Amino acid sequence: MSHETPPLSGPSDSTRSTYSILSSKASAAGTRVRDALVFSSAYLACIAVVQVVIAMAVLSLSWNFAPVVVGLVTFAVYAGDRVADAETDAVSNPRQAAFARRHGDVLYVLVALAYGLAVALSVFGGPVALAVTVLPGAFWVVYAADVLPDIGARVQRLKDVFLLNTAVVALAWATTLTFLPLAFAGASVTPSALVVFAYFFLGTFVSTEIPNVRDTEGDREIGVSTLPVVVGVTRTRQALYGVTLAAGGLVVAAIVVDLLPAVAATLLIGLGYLLAVTALVGRREVTNAVTIAAECQYLVAGAVLTIVALG
Amino acid sequence: MALVIDIATLVLALTIAVGVSAAFLAWRDRSEPGATPLVAMLAGQSWWSVCLVFQLEASTLAEKTFWVNVSWIGVVIIPVAWLLFALEYTGRDRYITPTSVGLLSVVPAITIILAALESHHSLLYTDASLAWRFGAPLLSQTPGPWFWVIGVYTYLLGLLGAIPLFELLRSETLPFRGQSIALLVGTLAPWVSNALFLAGVIPSVGPDPTPIAFAVSGVAYLGAITRFRLLGTSPSPNRRARRLVFERLEAAAVVVDRHDYIVDMNDSAADVFGVARVAALGSPAHEWIPEYERLEGGAGHEPVTIRSGGEERPFDVTMSRIDDVHGRLLGTVYTFHDIGEYLRQQQRLEVLNRVFRHNIRTETNIISGYADLMNAGEGAAKRVQESAARIAETGEKARRITDIFDQDRGPTKPVPLADLLEKSASAVASDFPNATIAYDDTPSVAVSGVLEHVFLNLVENAAEHNTSPDPWVRIECVLDGRTVHVTVRDNGPGIDQYEREVLERGSESALEHASGLGLWLVTWATDIADGRVSFEENEPRGSAVTVSVPVLDGDAASESENSGRENRETERDPDESPAP
Repeated sequence: MSHETPPLSGPSDSTRSTYSILSSKASAAGTRVRDALVFSSAYLACIAVVQVVIAMAVLSLSWNFAPVVVGLVTFAVYAGDRVADAETDAVSNPRQAAFARRHGDVLYVLVALAYGLAVALSVFGGPVALAVTVLPGAFWVVYAADVLPDIGARVQRLKDVFLLNTAVVALAWATTLTFLPLAFAGASVTPSALVVFAYFFLGTFVSTEIPNVRDTEGDREIGVSTLPVVVGVTRTRQALYGVTLAAGGLVVAAIVVDLLPAVAATLLIGLGYLLAVTALVGRREVTNAVTIAAECQYLVAGAVLTIVALG
Repeated sequence: MALVIDIATLVLALTIAVGVSAAFLAWRDRSEPGATPLVAMLAGQSWWSVCLVFQLEASTLAEKTFWVNVSWIGVVIIPVAWLLFALEYTGRDRYITPTSVGLLSVVPAITIILAALESHHSLLYTDASLAWRFGAPLLSQTPGPWFWVIGVYTYLLGLLGAIPLFELLRSETLPFRGQSIALLVGTLAPWVSNALFLAGVIPSVGPDPTPIAFAVSGVAYLGAITRFRLLGTSPSPNRRARRLVFERLEAAAVVVDRHDYIVDMNDSAADVFGVARVAALGSPAHEWIPEYERLEGGAGHEPVTIRSGGEERPFDVTMSRIDDVHGRLLGTVYTFHDIGEYLRQQQRLEVLNRVFRHNIRTETNIISGYADLMNAGEGAAKRVQESAARIAETGEKARRITDIFDQDRGPTKPVPLADLLEKSASAVASDFPNATIAYDDTPSVAVSGVLEHVFLNLVENAAEHNTSPDPWVRIECVLDGRTVHVTVRDNGPGIDQYEREVLERGSESALEHASGLGLWLVTWATDIADGRVSFEENEPRGSAVTVSVPVLDGDAASESENSGRENRETERDPDESPAP
């Protein structure tokens, strides 16, 4: 003789189960969106837009296409670089490399469309805006690729040259972030603009070297000379402190001599935040989160600037 | 600025966006045929469009003229890149050399120089002025003589580049048809626009509208790249592949024109006819092709015998007419297939079949005859048993021969000669203990493994059929350069002259045939090992069969190499000694 055991779960359990399914689905979707933003470098494009807005606010420029163009160019260059370096990044950043490999074709089409649109929009800013927009793309080609492979000319990749690699990246971005809004606005290059240029150059230098600490092993294997590969992690941290403090000193000095408005002091908050992130280098494992935290210094500065401006 | 100009600027911006995007996509696949010229062409188009935007935005005559002059860099890149793209993409890249690219670039380079010095001459434009149209100042220029030179040059290169793409319109490969249509649409759109502008159909006051049509080009090229996998699959190998098939064809192929002159031949043909291609091309076909008159009239099924590589080889000849679109004869392709091996194999099988059937029939007759006499005594039963054993042996030999034919199809396996001889001598000594088997020092060389059956059969025959009261078999080896001669000598009854002639001729008939399969096996296996067999009488009695075969590269050290035996003898009776 047998009998069926009645189900033990009641209506409240069913609701909990539905909630659990929805929750896990939302979590999975959130993970996918986060991966897409981080691994495709779309978040860097957002940061770049904020940087241009900071530059335009600090230099009191009128609104134009510059933030959009810089956002598109940033996405194109970084996403393109991640697709191109998917193989070599497999050691240091396997999840990002896997994402780049899996979505490589779609990403590259997006890269091409983003850069094409950026160049087209930059034409409305005139010849200088066009030149400044084309500059990061040209740098990227030299930085990431063996140029002219078909005729056998092998140009040593700038990516492999000590310090020059980071300097090239910082120079390209500082130039774009500072001079593109100027070009669109038809404004001339002033000492204030040069200070902003130097601020971006130094800040980008630091945030570019921090992921190099994470990539030390991979870079050493493929023969790329970065600061942590050559001088070690501790000295890299100390050097980055120095660069960040130099940027802060420059901003303070510029405010004191009236080259920058007082609102530019909000940039110091971002630099202070960067110092705190730099302090983690060599003391904790440099994860993707630390790298992204360093790159978010401008979001902190932008947020404070917005609060001050609105206040 | 006026609405028309704004719309034109927006369209140009779209053109630039599409052009740069397509260039980026093409740059990623720059190792693919045609990708690099395509990038250059798209860059040239984008540059021209950019300059046109700046020219429209400019307000003074000097600024507008400046941007027109700068735009020439992009303008002149386009036709050169287009032609190079078409050549590379369709597999005609052998025409692309530094010299040819340099020559193609002469007129564009001169144009750029003239544009840079435009204010000092009137070769490019004879005059320029501003005219108000659509509510904006537009540039109006009168073309000078060099403008028409570069114009004609551009259209000429455009036409030359389009020809190979038109050929692809009839391609059996669907993606190639799609690619070529997209490419031609992309190229024709700006040309038609430019032609209408130059012809005055589009108002000549104002900018050249060609770059606006690049929007169509960009979309078409993007479609070709993404939809039809322009840089993912290309017809570039086709032309070379067809040539390669002809050149690497194992059969000899000769192309003869309708006037019977050789116009092409492949490497195999040059080898078969023993002539350098350069010497044969352009000469009358009968000078190099034997029996050409017979071939010309239709060779039928009769093979043609050609003396090639020091021997006469039979060839089966295939004729293929080459006709024009009207069915008129242009020439003929003669293909010569070497059928020597095929005929030899056929001959061997015929002999095998004949001997096999003959021997089986003989033995079964004997069995049948003696079976009738079974009651006559023990002798009859013994004869029946012997006959049955011979049938079994015939079957075994036929199997060995089949194995040998199989080895003919596979790669040659080098084996130490000493191992083969020692193996044969040991096996025969064991089967025929009364016979003395002796052999000299064997050279340390490797020979074809197929000879294993040759030596075993020769030694076995010499021992088995030896009726001498003091039977002996002696194996002698002589190394002569890259050939080794192995002679098996015995003091038996010898091989009949008639049988030797049949073996040397290589074929049998119902009336003329050898006595068994053993010597056929020796002949065929030696033939497969690229050697030859000769039969002689031994003095004062017996036979001497010499197998001459080439020495092969390979491990020549025998298994008993270290035994140090100088003169080996396998004998059952130590008191008996072999003949000198």
